[in-house]
Order: sequence, then C-alpha cells, then structure tokens
Amino acid sequence: MILFFFSLLVLIFGSFVFQLFLPPVLLLHGAVILFVPALYFYGCLSLPFPLMLALTFFTGFLNDLFAVPQARSNPDFPTGISILFYLVPGLIMHGFRPLFLRHRWETHCLLAEIGAVLTPFILLAQYAMLSFERSDFFFSDVIVWRIVGPGLISLLIAPCVFFILTPLSHVLGFRPGLPLAR
Amino acid sequence: MKSITIAALGAFGIFVVLILLLPQQTKRQLQGALFQFISPVLRTGASVQQELGGVRGGLKRLDELERENQKLNLENEQLRATNSLLRNLEGEVNRLNRALGFREQSAFKLLPARILSRESATWWNFCTIDRGTKDGVATDMAVVTEDGVVGKVTTVAKDLAVVLLVSDESLRVSVSIEWTQEQGIVSGTRASSTYVPDLKIRFLSKTANLKPGMQVLTAGKGGVFPSGLVVGTIKDFSARQLEGIASVTPAVDLAAVQDVFVIVGER
Repeated sequence: MILFFFSLLVLIFGSFVFQLFLPPVLLLHGAVILFVPALYFYGCLSLPFPLMLALTFFTGFLNDLFAVPQARSNPDFPTGISILFYLVPGLIMHGFRPLFLRHRWETHCLLAEIGAVLTPFILLAQYAMLSFERSDFFFSDVIVWRIVGPGLISLLIAPCVFFILTPLSHVLGFRPGLPLAR
Repeated sequence: MKSITIAALGAFGIFVVLILLLPQQTKRQLQGALFQFISPVLRTGASVQQELGGVRGGLKRLDELERENQKLNLENEQLRATNSLLRNLEGEVNRLNRALGFREQSAFKLLPARILSRESATWWNFCTIDRGTKDGVATDMAVVTEDGVVGKVTTVAKDLAVVLLVSDESLRVSVSIEWTQEQGIVSGTRASSTYVPDLKIRFLSKTANLKPGMQVLTAGKGGVFPSGLVVGTIKDFSARQLEGIASVTPAVDLAAVQDVFVIVGER
C-alpha cells in the first residue's frame, strides 16, 4: 500500500510537470487539461483515510506552488488554500470507497465520471477565492467555460486514468478490499 | 471514530495551518526550489518543443523549397554586394554613434533570456525563463522585448526565474498615454476569450480624448518598470460614472514570444 501511495505521489508530481507543457484548449475558451484531479480522486477511493489526507495535503500544496505566482507581499491567493479546495471533493470521493472496493469495472467507470464532475469544484473554489480577495465577482461565458471545461475534458481522461491505475496498483501488490496476491 | 483517524485529522489540520501561516518569503523560496528541481525537465521540454516546431515548419515549406532557393540565391548575391559597401560604412557609423552618446542613451543593462514554459493555469498568467540568481536576476525586475513590456520577475531560483506576465490581473503597471497628460493603471483581465488577452487601463479621466492606436507607455512609477516602455496600443475607450476605462492590445504577443530581456540594472 505504501509503495502504491508513493507511486501516486510521483505520478501526481509528474502530471503537474506535464501539465506545464499542455496548451489551453482554445475550442473551450482556454480551458486547461488537468490530469492531477483524476489521479487524486483514484487515491481518495483506494487509499485509507489517513493516507488520503496526506495525499490531499501533497496535491493541494503542490498545486499552489506550480500554478500560483508568488507576489512579494499581500498575495490575493494564499498558498496552501487549495489543500482545502481539494479536501472537499476528496472527502466526497472517499465516501464512495465501499463501492470502489467491489472491483467492478463499470462502477470504477462511474466513479471516474463522478470524479470528473467534481473537478470543476476545485476551479470554482479558486475563482471564488480570487474574486473575494479582489472584491470583484463576475461571471462571463469565458469564466464558466474555464471552470466547466476541465471537467468536460476529465470526463474523457478520468476513466483512462482509472483503468491504468488499477493494474498498476495490482502490480505493486496493492489490492484494497481483496485478499493479498501470492 | 478510530484513534488513528483522529490523529490523522489533527496532524492534517496542524500542517494546513502551518502552511497557511508560512511567511511569503518562505513560500517564494519553496516555489523557487521546486522550479529549480524541475528545471532540467523544463529545459529539455523547451528544446524538444522548439525542434518539433522547426521540423513542422520545414515540412510545410518543402514543396516551395526549390523556388525559394532560387530566389534566395539571387537575393544573396545582391546582399553580398551591398554588405561589402556597408562594412566600410559600419566603422564610421559606430564612431559617430559613440561620439553622439547614443550608447549612453540606452540606460539599461539587458540580460537576454529564453522562455522555457508558459503556465496554462486557469486564473494566472506566468512563464519561466532560463535565467536566475547566478545571472544576476532578482525579484521585481522588469522583463521586456524590443516590442515592449512582457512582465516582471516574481520568483527566482539559481538558473531559472518565474515571470508574471503583464496579462495577469494581479500585475498592475502605472502607465501614461502618448501625446496626452493621461495616466492610469494597466492590468490584465481574469479570463479572456482569446489566447492573447486584452489589458485594461483604469483610473483615466472621464473626459480623456483617447483614440484607437495611441501608444500606452510605462509611467516609471512604482520602481519596477522604467518610464517609456511600450505596453500596448489603445483599442477602445469608455467613460464610466467615476473613471475612464480603456482596453489595450498588448505590444508583445505573449503567446508566441520566445526570447526576452531582463532589465538587470542601469548602465
């Protein structure tokens, strides 16, 4: 389990780096392609609660270090706040863990799509935080696309990520809810 | 609830509070260290992207290559002849330039840098460049091109720096409009429908007589950008209840720019 946990940390780190090279999707008004939420939600479903919290901390903090420029003073987005933004959907996904442990491919697929639907929540929370700090809350079609777009892309990405991670976890000897492989 | 769950929740809460309370300086150092750690990947990625672009460009022109080659050969002959004439003049021009103090007029020491990656974060616009503290780059240094302002340095690592682009909403630059007494604050927009976003100037007077195409220049206030750098050109102007607001097309194509200069000091 620990081996899988650390592999997930490495994969999340690698995905953050990979995302740096992905241009925004112009068709979706500049929405970005996010791999990290899918990996994170898989961790939330498969790992026990303490490790899920550790994963949330790592993902949220790294998200802010990678994505938020650090101004000299008075930052309008406190670094580390994304830990809390990841925590809420992460806890919702963790609630589906008993369903995940049934190890049926169709439930895994359904859970991946639920994760994709929860992805925009992270962006919405970031936008709400920024708007609150800048005292300027407005919505336009572009902003809606920037929030919803990554979720739509995740609807395609998340099932693939889930179907790759499941055999990987088995290779690493982690079979949550199943007897240990001999 | 299991004791291990309670302990994990407690530890999680403590760590989150600690992270949120970290001084801004420490967070910047952490970001610098992180980007320094991945700098080999960024450099490799940037060169691969460049090479792929070159190959793509080459393939596109393949069918026109012969025609173009003939044209270039002819042009080359003409340029050789012109060049030999100009070489004689070059020495004289240089000497005259020195005499007239033209070199002294360019008051800034410019450090060339290359953009390694452009972050496609949803709400922020920044990029990384291949120069850092070992080259003399420090935070709050202005980054420019020959066309105008690109942004300012926010985080510096040993051989890499993070540049907040002028299109980001959180970067505010004091500007003036050419041929007028108008001054205002320019900043980016939070989300723009195009890849090259518009900038907005606020705090202009309501009666400002601004025409599309007028140049927007840095006013030199704030200590980051020297005065007279081009930020962009006026696109349109509208008067609100308390202020005038103008939208500006950036002078630099921030989506395509590859080579930039960091203003590391004055000559």
